[in-house]
Amino acid sequence: MSNPTNPTQQPAAKANTAAPAPASPTPAQAQPPLPPAPEGMLNVFVDGILLHVKKGSTVMQACTLAAKEIPHFCYHDRLSIAGNCRMCLVEIEGMPKPIASCHWPAAEGMKIRTDSKLTAEARKGTMELLLINHPLDCPICDQGGECALQDQAVAYGSDRSHFHEFKRAVDDKDIGHKIKTVMTRCIHCTRCVRFATELAGVEEFGATGRGENMQIGTYVEQALQSELAGNMIDLCPVGALTSAPYAFTARPWELKRTSSVDLLDAVGTPVTVDTRAGQVMRVLPEECDEINEEWLTDAARFSYDALSTNRLTTPLIGGKPATWPQAFEAIKKALKSSTPATTAGLMGNLQSAEDAYAFKAFLTQTLGTQNLDSRPAGTLPNSAFLTTPLKSFDTAEAVLLIGCNPRLEAPLLNIRLRRAALKRRMPVYAIGTQMNLAYPHTHLGETPEALTQHATTFKAHAALQILISQSVLQRPDASAILAAAAKLGTVNILADTTGRTTTHSIGALPQGKGNGTSGILAAWQKGQLKTLFIHGEDTASAMDVKSGKGTLIYLGTHNTPLAKAADVVLPTAAWAEKSGLYMNGEGRLLGADQATLPPLNAKEDWKIYRALSAELGNPLPFNTLSQLRTLIAQANPAFAPANLGQITAAQRPEFRIPNSEFRLSTKPFTAPVEKYYLRNEYLKQSQTMHAIQAESGSANLGPQPGAPMPLPTKPAKPKGRGAAHA
Amino acid sequence: MSLPRLQPQDMCFPNLAGAGDWGIKGYQKRGGYEGLKALLQTAPKDHIEKLKQSSLRGRGGAGFPTGMKWSFMPQPAPDKPLTKPSYLVCNADEGEPGTCKDRDILRFDPHTLVEGMIVGCYCLNAKVGYIYVRGEYYDESSRLNQAIQEAYKAGFLGKNILGTGVDVDVHVHLGAGAYICGEETALLESLEGKKGQPRLKPPFPAGFGLYGCPTTINNVETIAQVPPILKNPLEWFTRWGRPGNSGTKIFSISGSVKNPINVEAPMSIPLRELIEEYAGGVTGGWSNLQAIIPGGSSTPMLNAEQSARVLMDFDALKAEGTGLGTAAIVVMNKQIDLLRVMTRISHFYHHESCGQCTPCREGVGWVHRLMERLSAGEGTPAELDQLYALTKKIEGRTICAFADGAMWPVQGTLKHFRNLLESRLNKGEAA
Repeated sequence: MSNPTNPTQQPAAKANTAAPAPASPTPAQAQPPLPPAPEGMLNVFVDGILLHVKKGSTVMQACTLAAKEIPHFCYHDRLSIAGNCRMCLVEIEGMPKPIASCHWPAAEGMKIRTDSKLTAEARKGTMELLLINHPLDCPICDQGGECALQDQAVAYGSDRSHFHEFKRAVDDKDIGHKIKTVMTRCIHCTRCVRFATELAGVEEFGATGRGENMQIGTYVEQALQSELAGNMIDLCPVGALTSAPYAFTARPWELKRTSSVDLLDAVGTPVTVDTRAGQVMRVLPEECDEINEEWLTDAARFSYDALSTNRLTTPLIGGKPATWPQAFEAIKKALKSSTPATTAGLMGNLQSAEDAYAFKAFLTQTLGTQNLDSRPAGTLPNSAFLTTPLKSFDTAEAVLLIGCNPRLEAPLLNIRLRRAALKRRMPVYAIGTQMNLAYPHTHLGETPEALTQHATTFKAHAALQILISQSVLQRPDASAILAAAAKLGTVNILADTTGRTTTHSIGALPQGKGNGTSGILAAWQKGQLKTLFIHGEDTASAMDVKSGKGTLIYLGTHNTPLAKAADVVLPTAAWAEKSGLYMNGEGRLLGADQATLPPLNAKEDWKIYRALSAELGNPLPFNTLSQLRTLIAQANPAFAPANLGQITAAQRPEFRIPNSEFRLSTKPFTAPVEKYYLRNEYLKQSQTMHAIQAESGSANLGPQPGAPMPLPTKPAKPKGRGAAHA
Repeated sequence: MSLPRLQPQDMCFPNLAGAGDWGIKGYQKRGGYEGLKALLQTAPKDHIEKLKQSSLRGRGGAGFPTGMKWSFMPQPAPDKPLTKPSYLVCNADEGEPGTCKDRDILRFDPHTLVEGMIVGCYCLNAKVGYIYVRGEYYDESSRLNQAIQEAYKAGFLGKNILGTGVDVDVHVHLGAGAYICGEETALLESLEGKKGQPRLKPPFPAGFGLYGCPTTINNVETIAQVPPILKNPLEWFTRWGRPGNSGTKIFSISGSVKNPINVEAPMSIPLRELIEEYAGGVTGGWSNLQAIIPGGSSTPMLNAEQSARVLMDFDALKAEGTGLGTAAIVVMNKQIDLLRVMTRISHFYHHESCGQCTPCREGVGWVHRLMERLSAGEGTPAELDQLYALTKKIEGRTICAFADGAMWPVQGTLKHFRNLLESRLNKGEAA
């Protein structure tokens, strides 16, 4: 080093010494030409091993295929390639410099070396440079233990630095209650910027300044407005962006990981619930290409503090704590004075298949009533399902939204729609309130009449996907809307939660000539019902049950207004506290494991029904969870264990378009969701959700005044592009 | 001296010194726009072929053969019309320290560039050309704009130029003063209204450039030299310089010389002759020479011994471990504190790094601080080796060539003037 040679010559000389003699490309030692790779493939050598890789693959993909790990920070499968971290440099024989494998296309006969001296030195050099201005404050960093920088520094870095200057420090940014920032730790990989711009569609993150002074931030300091901002925490490879509610609460190696399902929208995102000593510390998404890709909504990610807030921990009689036997006694007494006709049950929107089956069995078998329901009042007797799988929206020809705001009702579905609208210029039409979907769409009107007015527009699309919000089904003219929509394309109903679609599939619906929700509530208000069981929230409200005279028995998790209005309260297990089967909005069976125990005296829901039925002298025919699940699978084969993760279309309740003589009304649609972070009773229990809702401006989340973005003009395209997808 | 001085008829930029009229009348008096119609009626591929034979190499620093660069652009075939528009972008973001040649072209002979844009756009099937002028060249861009207006009025720009059916529009865009926007893909980003940061290559701009369309980016001088080359016989250009480095070139000579100057001279002219003939010689005489930066701040220095023998062309300077770059010659005599100069240059790169790639963002500042410290005599000789090792961790590891350009002068200093640094360090230790 003290006698440096010509700078431009040095890398080439290194490359030659690193290459073994037989592999050197001199003509005298040239190897016989390789047999051609199969059609559409390339011959590539990775560390001397011959591979066939698809044409158009990158060098990194080839290395991954060869099971060679390539360290990287900025590269991410689902984001555009930035190529700026320079950690993925590898040597390619015959090239003077190491190249960034994340974007370099593989070529025929390419000889990639991931084990050479040049590659190792390039990684070591980059790592040293990444660390010079990094604070190395791992002991107080929340990313510690699950940090890409930490892991890769150990694997590819040096054990000492040559840096003796002062380190850079960067001011932390206040970007709201979701994300805590320690910007000195930032390595400027721009994953967060690319996520916000490319996927969330809210261009609120960017880099300001240049060189060493480059900073990631919102420029004008403000709370992040995206409903998907939490994903930046997962994307951040270092501890610059960490979860604000999780800050300083646990270390990853202390956590017990349990697979579960997010019930808060119809997507049914698979999640991991991390617990420590029985307390839920955080919720992270799992990767599933068909459902959530790898994203999670902020409502699901940050609302876990609801699990330990305002919980019901013991039975209550008239608002006073009681023991379980006392509570059962009180229920028995109430039931004595009622007949099956004066007994009814309503189920909420976050219940599992087990809950719904036990609820239905208890009401129909033990109590013999036909009055039960799990739909909001006024809803038509249709099941609320997407008839098109979520993933198929990636390739949809055109989408019509009726009274539906997918950005607030199912943000992860909105990501797919956005991608299709921007990348494929898929037309998106909307009828309903003005909204900001984060991509161009055509707003066609606020009333159902737009359906007929623009029929010719819709008819131009052979395969129109129609998304109707479940809230639309509560309208008086819902039948007419459904009938009109069915003539235009495939009707998909977007339910509010996965719990809702689960209880529908189990059939927690009126039996025979029994009353539905509106009938039950009307009868209750008129004093015709002697006993009303309400299990869970958001099907009936405290206002609905205020004027009744009978005994209101509430089974639930939180001390909500409804619980306060009840005569007898039985504390149940929340979603993370029980094993459950769920069916998401597209009819896919999902399984959640029990992450922790119900608090204090609260019990799992099905066990309560089993015990109560025994108390009433007519025990339900299951004693264990597996017996219960067997019964569920017998009643609805879609819930058989073999179907986990599958869409069992044949077994889904039939989607019936009512034969309607109603006319489309001129009443405009209302916004399906007003406050995204507080849209149901469970979310309202979370302090974090209240804080986040307070900092969310209506500018980006709510209805937006003014004209919507115009649809980009479609360029003349060869026929069959859309057809190829279909 | 061995080479004859160029006569006005040999020059591509006869008005480089600003003696004559920069407007269209003066330009036409000097022979400008003559034969433009004939050029627009010859097939583009003939022009490109002639450019290849002329061995014109990019004047912006990298020295890439222009004819070859232009041949990468898609040409329409009778059965395959072009689906996307093509663009010619002129890089007038002259930011390289020591370089001021494009500035004189823009203010004293802007019509050479306008004519070059017309011919270039025609050769590349571009209907629109952009000239990206650095923000500091506000006055120069005003002259350029006036020249463009004059050309429109005279019918050399716009629709159906001189009745040949060729349409060319030229737009001037002012940058915001970032050095990195002189890198061609960063320039495109900036032109598109984004943050000026270089793009990943491949894809190269010839396939996916401005707004995703085929684009060629050339230096002002390169584009302006195209019309004279095409109008004159091939020998008019190739008689100057060694094979592969032919033609004339503007040299910007500054530093410790009696008469700092921008001068158009033949390629392959000996460096010593160039300085003594045109710039009045080194202050204090040739023997007082310490070092010369031959091609703008990014190129490593030459010591006095190398300077005496080197020819000013791409290949000769490459053989000396440096480069022709923009041919901005910075002469430093023995009264100059060379380490201070190099530290200042490091500071410049520290300030101008765009911050995209890790090695450059983090490393260039580190190198600057080390230079600052070591040139002040603080540190140990072992740190010189560390500094060299550090430059090797940065050079060739980034998306664009900025980091290479930032490291080469430091490497050049360590190569030729390590003794200076060491004596400084020893003194520092003694104190």
